Amino acid sequence: MTKQTDGYVDGRPDSREPVVDESANPNPFSYQDLARLDEALTMSSKETGLRFTLYVGELGTDTRGTAEGLHGRSGGDTGNSVLVAVSPGQRVLEIVTGSTAARRLPDRACALAVLSMTSRLSSGDLVGAIVNGLRQLSDAAGHPSRRS
Amino acid sequence: MPVIETVLIYGVIPLAVFVILAVLTLLPGRGRDRTKYRPGQPWTAPAVWYEPHPGASGVVGGHGSDAHGEGQHAPGLGATAAALAIGEHPHEPHHGIGDHGFADHDAPRRTAAGGARGTW
Repeated sequence: MTKQTDGYVDGRPDSREPVVDESANPNPFSYQDLARLDEALTMSSKETGLRFTLYVGELGTDTRGTAEGLHGRSGGDTGNSVLVAVSPGQRVLEIVTGSTAARRLPDRACALAVLSMTSRLSSGDLVGAIVNGLRQLSDAAGHPSRRS
Repeated sequence: MPVIETVLIYGVIPLAVFVILAVLTLLPGRGRDRTKYRPGQPWTAPAVWYEPHPGASGVVGGHGSDAHGEGQHAPGLGATAAALAIGEHPHEPHHGIGDHGFADHDAPRRTAAGGARGTW
């Protein structure tokens, strides 16, 4: 990481070590984290029959609009899919449910999951927040109905 | 009992046990620096979009809620493997084409029906 001007103190070059080394690893998640995320996504999708996808990245100025656009392009049966979009840089979390998924996963359940996720996110536990949020969402959605 | 034996039994052995337990406790957690994110830091990583594992039986063809998902695993692979796997749909003609929700047209239409948002 190059030296950057410390604008907060005196404008002189900042010689301190950065708290987070962004240049070291372009992938924000370690392999253990990726395994946890994969398992959480897969298990929640498997249990509920809904299709959970997870987006981590910038959401632009209109975060809700971007998240809904992503949901529309998520492929498969969008009505049955749930998008969890996290923008750590903007500190915004969006959950978007499709038309079918919204019947199983009402907005109140989503808001509850968002609440527990943001409390973890504010302490910096990104992966834990996502994993527990997905677990909470899948618990709220329950199992798919057996009609056949 | 000679002094050296006493020291060995009552001094060295407990110390060895202590050291072994300390090593076992501290070593596994040393390598992983899992909190790469701290609130307030800019997020410089490129955007990623994760999907459930294609083998998940509940999400076959996106019709898992209709309880078709139990019997067939293979046909659903394409539909969940990539966001653009539209060509998957001909594999499941028995699903009833009239069903709603097929993403045949990826035109920017509004698909969101609900959800929630939060900040921290």
